[in-house]
Amino acid sequence: MENRTSNTQDRELFLSRTLNAPVELVWEMWTKPEHIANWWGPNGFTTTISTMDMQPEGEWNLVMHGPDGSDYKNKSIFKEVTLHKKIVYEHTSYPQFVSTITFEEQGDKTHLTWHMLFESHEQFIQVVKTFKADVGLRQNVEKLEAYLKDQQTK
Amino acid sequence: MKARRDVYQAIADPTRRAIINMIAAEPNNVNAIAEKFDVTRQAISLHIQILIDCGLLVVKQQGRERICEAHLNQLSEVAQWVEQYRQHFEQKLDALETYIEKIKKERDGEQNK
Repeated sequence: MENRTSNTQDRELFLSRTLNAPVELVWEMWTKPEHIANWWGPNGFTTTISTMDMQPEGEWNLVMHGPDGSDYKNKSIFKEVTLHKKIVYEHTSYPQFVSTITFEEQGDKTHLTWHMLFESHEQFIQVVKTFKADVGLRQNVEKLEAYLKDQQTK
Repeated sequence: MKARRDVYQAIADPTRRAIINMIAAEPNNVNAIAEKFDVTRQAISLHIQILIDCGLLVVKQQGRERICEAHLNQLSEVAQWVEQYRQHFEQKLDALETYIEKIKKERDGEQNK
């Protein structure tokens, strides 16, 4: 375990959160297309889930619709699905990574962990750089929109 | 063509990351660094040159020794960008949390009807 950590720490992200809901509810929100579509995309985005076949080698295809009208297709393959415990999927469109989500029952609450592992440090840095460019661009568009709104009300 | 040198290129190579880690803990001379690695002295010299070009390493002459020092200010830029990327996923968890509260309220409402 020690070894594994030191080998991957420069190409992974790890998040965790204790959610105020029993594991059955959190699992339902994560695994039902009609629910996950409501929270998956970034702020201001909507999400359309076209396929969500939750079994090993099952496909997961979704499109995130950005506020500026652009669409972002995401393709993944589920690798492991253990009811109320664990989901592993491989994001096969860019950027490629393996995502592992664990659900741990804590009475009425659920401790969720989310681990994302990229193929290499180089690729991870590339993704981060691209993301920075994207976010920077989006923030500029938002600023411009806010500015235009402001101008129109004057 | 002259290769572009930036901080990302500096940390793209595992040996260079190891060199940075080593001298970040304590400045060290070129020979001592070379001995720690299972590659040729020439290879280490090249890595050190790239780190110098990227602005992450400075060599100071002390008598007959060439001491390598780490200059890590630029690395915080990388860390900030990684943090920004991480925040993007924290936002997903925020949205999940908010959505769960909404669903819980809706279902409680249905039960109380």
